[in-house]
Amino acid sequence: MSIKTYAVAVRDTIGDEMRRDPKIFIMGEDIEKQGGIFGCTRDLYKEFGTDRVRNTPISEAAIVGAGLGAACAGMRPIVELMYMDFTFCAMDQLLNQVAKTRYIFGGKAKIPLVIRGQQGIGRGNAATHSQSVETIFMHFPGLKVACPSTPADAAGLLRTAIRDDNPVMFFEHKALYATKGEVPDDPDFMIPFGKADIKKEGSDVTIVANLLYVGRCLEAAAELEKEGISAEVIDPRTLVPLDIDTIVRSVKKTGRLVVVHEAHKNAGWGAEIASQVTEAAFRYLDAPPVRLGTAACPLPFNLGLEGAATPQISEIVEAAKKVCYR
Amino acid sequence: MAEIIIMPKQGLQMTEGTIIRWLKQEGDAVKAGEPLFEMETDKLTITIDSTAEGSLLKILRPAGEVVPITLPIAVVGAPGEDWSALPGLAASGDEPVQPSAQASDGRIFASPRARLRAEEKGIDIGAVAGTGPDGLIIERDVLAVAPAAAKASPLARKVAEQAGIDIAAVTGSGPRGKIMANDVRTAAASTAPDEEDTVIPLKGMRKVIAQRMKQSLADMAQANHRMTVDMSEIVRLREQLKALSVKVSYNDFVLRATAKALSEHRNMNASMGDDCIILKNAVNLGMAVAADNGLVVPVIKNADRLSLTELAAKSSELAGRTKENRLQPDEMTGGTFTVTNLGMYEVDSFTAVINPPEAGILAVGKMRKMPVVLPDDSIGVRPLMQLSLTYDHRIIDGAPAAAFLLRIRTLLENPALLM
Amino acid sequence: MIEKARAERIYTKMNEIRSFESKALSLFEENKLRGSVHLYIGEEAIAATVCSSLRDEDYIASTHRGHGHCIAKGARLDYAMAELMGKATGYCKGRGGSMHIADLSKGNLGANAIVGGGIPIAVGAALASKLSGADRVAVVFFGDGASNEGTFHESLNLASVWKLPVIFVCENNGFGITVPTWQSTSVTDIADRSHGYNIPGCVVDGNDVEEIDAAFQKALAHAKAGEGPSLIECKTYRWLGHWTGDPQVYRSREEVEAWKKKCPIIRYRTRLLEQGLFTETELDAIEQAARKSADDAAEFALSSPEPDPAHVLDDVFFEG
Repeated sequence: MSIKTYAVAVRDTIGDEMRRDPKIFIMGEDIEKQGGIFGCTRDLYKEFGTDRVRNTPISEAAIVGAGLGAACAGMRPIVELMYMDFTFCAMDQLLNQVAKTRYIFGGKAKIPLVIRGQQGIGRGNAATHSQSVETIFMHFPGLKVACPSTPADAAGLLRTAIRDDNPVMFFEHKALYATKGEVPDDPDFMIPFGKADIKKEGSDVTIVANLLYVGRCLEAAAELEKEGISAEVIDPRTLVPLDIDTIVRSVKKTGRLVVVHEAHKNAGWGAEIASQVTEAAFRYLDAPPVRLGTAACPLPFNLGLEGAATPQISEIVEAAKKVCYR
Repeated sequence: MAEIIIMPKQGLQMTEGTIIRWLKQEGDAVKAGEPLFEMETDKLTITIDSTAEGSLLKILRPAGEVVPITLPIAVVGAPGEDWSALPGLAASGDEPVQPSAQASDGRIFASPRARLRAEEKGIDIGAVAGTGPDGLIIERDVLAVAPAAAKASPLARKVAEQAGIDIAAVTGSGPRGKIMANDVRTAAASTAPDEEDTVIPLKGMRKVIAQRMKQSLADMAQANHRMTVDMSEIVRLREQLKALSVKVSYNDFVLRATAKALSEHRNMNASMGDDCIILKNAVNLGMAVAADNGLVVPVIKNADRLSLTELAAKSSELAGRTKENRLQPDEMTGGTFTVTNLGMYEVDSFTAVINPPEAGILAVGKMRKMPVVLPDDSIGVRPLMQLSLTYDHRIIDGAPAAAFLLRIRTLLENPALLM
Repeated sequence: MIEKARAERIYTKMNEIRSFESKALSLFEENKLRGSVHLYIGEEAIAATVCSSLRDEDYIASTHRGHGHCIAKGARLDYAMAELMGKATGYCKGRGGSMHIADLSKGNLGANAIVGGGIPIAVGAALASKLSGADRVAVVFFGDGASNEGTFHESLNLASVWKLPVIFVCENNGFGITVPTWQSTSVTDIADRSHGYNIPGCVVDGNDVEEIDAAFQKALAHAKAGEGPSLIECKTYRWLGHWTGDPQVYRSREEVEAWKKKCPIIRYRTRLLEQGLFTETELDAIEQAARKSADDAAEFALSSPEPDPAHVLDDVFFEG
């Protein structure tokens, strides 16, 4: 075990894997000497050279498409997008090409491609650089979606993503890069996709959250304990594939569900969880499932406004109390 | 503090009850769990125990009055206590106080989980007060009905103590969730369903049978006699009739013998009344039939006045219509004695449960060839059939019951007497 | 002069393409094809000539008008026709249809329904080649319309900066669907855009096999020498509408007829006879064989089974 930051956990995992398999390379903006804007590729070019750690022009569509072509031609590319908001610049390549190639080729292509980058609020980057976009990639079939909330989860999930022969959208969070945690040193440490993690056990209400909101929900859970409400906090870790069984089992136990995410509440992935849980555990529900998410406006620059638009810990506490009829 | 006694909801459809009589007078001491009044609803008379302890301070609604459920009917408290300001007294209008969880069309608003808990605990969800938004019945409301230590009948406490059960963990099915003795007995045996178990809600015929069986055993003192009948003569007679194209089943012979025996032993053709025994005039013989959805007992009216062949025809016809679900209501009521035959299911003998309010039931087993000791002490083979009579010992004692059973045997072993 | 073996391959492929496309048109008109097909008739020289210099391990990426490139790159007519009909025996098991015919075993990264969609993918294949030290090139075919897509510009720049072994072949047939090139494109010769990306570019007569070949050989050598990409613009014309059923209100019948006179197959046939490489009989035989292949392909496709709906969810992901 080592204590590492989330960013270092990402960096070390990429390094381990590139060492192990010469077919893996990474390309993105500012990832070579700069080591990535968030340090996720720091010094990797020194060990692996500038062919395998290569700076790209600012051409997201071309980079993503090139990643796809290289994967079809036998390499295992990692594409770093500086902000996952920039997936919008490469949407055709992502959703029409990467996601669909294997299927529409009748299963005759293997696409071991990882598209990774960070997203979310926390640095005052304003509306087009602070979004949470994972819901879109959950919606269109053909892409796996992973969202680690801790350094260990980042390391384990990223290794699984890199070794997966399928395209994976890997969402990191800008406000989590500096968080520290224990990470196993095992160079084969992998966390399987499709296995949710119960970050805190409880008996009165099930709270589901990802990325930054896992930590916020754990804080809310501590507040709730003081009021005698025992919350169970679950991190799905991957939205595709989704471990709905763990969540359903939890709700059958507690009778109550609150889903909290940074993605917009309206048509966010929380709605999918709430709906699936209602179908599977209707008889066990004491209250209707509740979702919290970002409001229906672009993320404002001003910090106070940003706080007003995004779910706060007090709101999570209130929502949990409400479904407990307290 | 003084407590209000309300007209309790006793049945799913019950909206009001009639106070038949008060078992205590104003000023009497009342213990929790002690019978306080009798009420009637839907032809059922129920004795209600007091849910409070103290002195019966006031009877708000006298005997004979029809009171909507949940309305106050009496006050119990410390002698001399001023109870005029008790909350809840204000609700004394003529319409039943709707718990707001109930819509005016009778719909009950409860969360799915609350309903699940109510089912598991055998609680009537409609009787639970809802504390959720707009009076929604939520889980903890149902859990709260599993009462605190006070709300159990004295007999229930005794049974719990003897069985080593924590009474607080038992769900009560009495008025307002009170724990009754049978609840404790049930709790001793049952567990809540696991995830993998199949839960079948108790309703319809199954529910009725469950209630009646329980009630039968709870109310009566049932005892049992057995005799083995040599059916050789019946077998011979039946063959003769068959050769003449007359179809009579073995069970028809039993019905004929039983009907005749009942006409001679009127004390078996009886039922328990209010502090009295009623000897029924007509011999209305019920025959148990296993229908698709449960046990049904169609009744052959005045069976003692029918000849063997008439009885055979009637029993066959009733059995047929029972299986097709085409019985008339009056063909299912008015029975005075029941015959039940599990011979076709290979059962040799069994103990049947009396169909209330009858006094007895005859259980017939399978006829089998068995070795017997003949009068000259040699061994022979005879077709034997076992009869088992369950009778209500409150109405009839062992000896007369034995005489009745013996008469049936005699008739079957000497069918000439059936003419 | 192109040596005999390759010339024969070129001529064979041109005829196979022409027969296949004609057959597809008839099948469409007989209502035996679903959706629409975008036919390459009139442009055969480009695909056939370029692909004749490529090996199976070299890559191509193509367009929505991709049957020609697929056939030229070695696709079987029967599997291709079956894919057009959505049959289980098609190249993509009926999942992709006309615009997604692909065969990775022959280096075919697929026809692509998105205009400009295949350009970055070909660049990626070239990148893989360079990274792995393999001696492979990638060729991407695209139309004049695609040269106005962002992916075109991003890809040319990227390939140029990284000196990737990819050759950009623009088939300028004068129309982006119904919009004539002069109305949509800021340059007359799309090849001029090569200057913007510091790569060699040239214009050739897209109906002249030898002119195309000369330019392509140069580009191929350039790529294999590690010097990076080139842009070759082939001026050509599509004889039919953009899609089967296109009423072609945007051009005149006379214009179409004038181009038909410049038919690339007839021109190369004349050339081959002039060069004395083949006799008329031999060339007739090639044409007939091509027609028969197309007919056989249609038979095969018509009698092939439909894919089983029970397997509709298969192959979204590679499982283990």
